[in-house]
Amino acid sequence: MASSEARVQDATAQTGGVGGGSTRLVALRSFAEFLLPIVVLLLLWEAGVRTGLIDPTILPAPSMIVGRAWVLLDPSHPERSLLLTHIAASLWRALVAFAIACGVAIPLGFALGLSPIAYRSASPLLSLLLPLPAVAWTPIFLVGFGQGDTTIISVCFLGAVFPVLYATIRGVQSISPHSLWVVRSMGARRSDIFVRVLLPGCLPALISGLKLGMAHSWRTLVAAEMLAALSRGLGYMIFAARAYMDVSTMFVGIACLAVIGMLVEHGLFGPLESATVRKWYGVSRVGGAR
Amino acid sequence: MSLQVAAVPAEQRPSRLERVADAALTMGPVVLPLVLWELAAWMGWINTFLFPSPSRIAATLWTQSGPDGNPPWGIPLHVARSLTRLLAGMAIAIALGTLVGVVIGMTRWGRFIFRPLISALMPVPTLAWTPVLLLAVGIDDRATIIVVAIAASFEIIYTIVAGLEMMNVRVFWVAQSMGATPVQIFWRVILPGVLPYLITGVRLGTGYAWRALIAAEMLAASSYGLGFMIFDASEYMSMDVIYGGVVLIAVLGYLLENVLIGRLEAATIDKWGVRVEA
Repeated sequence: MASSEARVQDATAQTGGVGGGSTRLVALRSFAEFLLPIVVLLLLWEAGVRTGLIDPTILPAPSMIVGRAWVLLDPSHPERSLLLTHIAASLWRALVAFAIACGVAIPLGFALGLSPIAYRSASPLLSLLLPLPAVAWTPIFLVGFGQGDTTIISVCFLGAVFPVLYATIRGVQSISPHSLWVVRSMGARRSDIFVRVLLPGCLPALISGLKLGMAHSWRTLVAAEMLAALSRGLGYMIFAARAYMDVSTMFVGIACLAVIGMLVEHGLFGPLESATVRKWYGVSRVGGAR
Repeated sequence: MSLQVAAVPAEQRPSRLERVADAALTMGPVVLPLVLWELAAWMGWINTFLFPSPSRIAATLWTQSGPDGNPPWGIPLHVARSLTRLLAGMAIAIALGTLVGVVIGMTRWGRFIFRPLISALMPVPTLAWTPVLLLAVGIDDRATIIVVAIAASFEIIYTIVAGLEMMNVRVFWVAQSMGATPVQIFWRVILPGVLPYLITGVRLGTGYAWRALIAAEMLAASSYGLGFMIFDASEYMSMDVIYGGVVLIAVLGYLLENVLIGRLEAATIDKWGVRVEA
């Protein structure tokens, strides 16, 4: 949400710059202003380690972290790169869990949103399951499936399924029955109602739910991988580095998690949003991922 | 409503029937699966090692809560330890979050410095900090408490900033023109003004913090804590303890977020008439 605020700031800077000079320059300047505190903090951190004020075994300098990342990335042999293997394993798990969650939650959400009786009877169960942290299921899956991908994907699935389900239900319920009646009285078929009324009507809520679901899947993944991964994944990499007191590797993992999370949110759902919701409804911002 | 009932007394009877149907619809979906589960366990249709019957889970919860448990009085101790950690972490988050939120909302330099830092730190999954904290402070309560504080602070900062943006600038002008010092403005104007928002932030933050706490306890707690309890039980494969712990975690999380702080929030809405869009 803070990053979307930054986007809004950029937009205002751009519109303000129309009269004052080159828009591009203004946008560039606000971007530089945005980066400045981060750069200053990194420099202070580096200086603190170099002068011995900070213990590098606890908080290694940014340059050490970058160096470690370069070693892990091993750019000369991309097919054997350790970091890329971990990232690929994590992304694969998160995406599979997210896909299964969508496959379950969207049809279920439509059913619950369209039928008041089904919604009434399911909502007590849902409100019991919702506050339960997805990670709390890990021990059950660990006993049931053992360590490995099945456990991790199941936990991430549970993390992702509820935001998508809730968003779908809310989206479908927000469609006024009048528009359904109108289309039906004009003789629309069921498939037409679905494609022309229900789907576009619930899309803003649905997309913000998908965004939230993917974010939850990604955040749950780390904990699940720390607890249940056998040999691969960013969470495993961070947790295994603990045994060797390898803090640099941990920070490489943390940075990768943050960057990939942001890339997925802005690179995947940003264009999706602008292609659908913003184009059709003129909505500037739909929800925030947390 | 009462007038209607008085005018048409015949309508009372179907409404009672409706109420029964209502209760059945509410309770049924929770109770029915439990009954089926119990039945299936008794009849041997399901693997009772993986799915112990609800009655056995309840019995285990009962014995573990008493002096015969392992450890004695185990569950009250686990719950107390988890809640203590949550409370300590939330206290840090509220103090820090309010401070940073007010600095961001009120000052130019605060916005300039903290906005980029927060947008850089927020995408990091909270639990990814756990191994670093474990190395930095060791396996004790401090690691879990810091994880709780991190999980809750972002939400609190966000709601405080949103609350300050909603406040009327004239209130500050009035206070300033009457000669209030910045300290007085903070305590007399800003804090009461953002309090309703702060409570909403605390409610949402507690939800995140509870989830983070359970996971952090699985990773980092040396002894006690609900997260530790269920993870420890998975090493001994005592499924009844795991299921009991999961139920406790769900119920406590629900009570904390919706009942305890939800009531507080409703009270502030009644008093100040502010509803916060979250």
